[in-house]
Amino acid sequence: MRRPVDPQRLLAAVADHEAGANVLFVGTARAVTNGRPAVALEFEAHEPMAGPELERLCRVAVEKFGLVACAVEHRLGRVPVGEASVAIAASAPHRREAFAAAEWLMERIKREVPIWKCEERPDGRRDWIHPGGGAPQQEAAARGPRAGGRPRGRRR
Amino acid sequence: MQRPHHEPAFDDEPRRGRVSHEDMLRVALFAGMADAAGTRQAEIRWRGGSVADLRAALEAAYPAIGGLLARSAVAIGNRYAADEAEVPATADVAIIPPVSGG
Repeated sequence: MRRPVDPQRLLAAVADHEAGANVLFVGTARAVTNGRPAVALEFEAHEPMAGPELERLCRVAVEKFGLVACAVEHRLGRVPVGEASVAIAASAPHRREAFAAAEWLMERIKREVPIWKCEERPDGRRDWIHPGGGAPQQEAAARGPRAGGRPRGRRR
Repeated sequence: MQRPHHEPAFDDEPRRGRVSHEDMLRVALFAGMADAAGTRQAEIRWRGGSVADLRAALEAAYPAIGGLLARSAVAIGNRYAADEAEVPATADVAIIPPVSGG
């Protein structure tokens, strides 16, 4: 998704008369990470895998937390500091499940979906972020993504 | 569908004529790995072998990606593949380094 994230559209996508709780998480590009300044982030994805994986995680979240609906959007390309890079909307009959699902989804997205962040420094230098440095990503390698779909998902 | 371990991933015997197009396996690289390799599409001369064989061949061809490659998953046809899995010469292969979305 090269265009800006539209949180209101995500919220509208999960709205339902069965849902009394609608949680929206918006992740924005931060100016400083671990003491290092950034003027922008750039995101790259292996899109044929990232899209279906986001959709799969939405489906799992709906089942796992008993959501009414769930939607996720991740922006790709350059994201200036202050702008949204990711948004999650979760609706449920009650708030506890919706909050928990949003937190769970964000955690899974950061760990498992083939999307990478590059931090653009004030001096123009660019640093791709590949967490770890110790063990390989066994968790991701052990699972298999499902086929089909687009980089955005809504699941009931 | 596992290949015996004694079989080489690719042969070093002299080939007749030029290397044909079908012998080249294209491997999609991303993010810091693409930067390190200097390309988003690695090309490896390939006559079959396992994912582990492919890792070794990639590291030999692109030494700069070695450290990151060891921490990366390999996807064939957009599914994560174990090191024992076979990699056909026509496979759609991508190397997935540690992710950092969000």
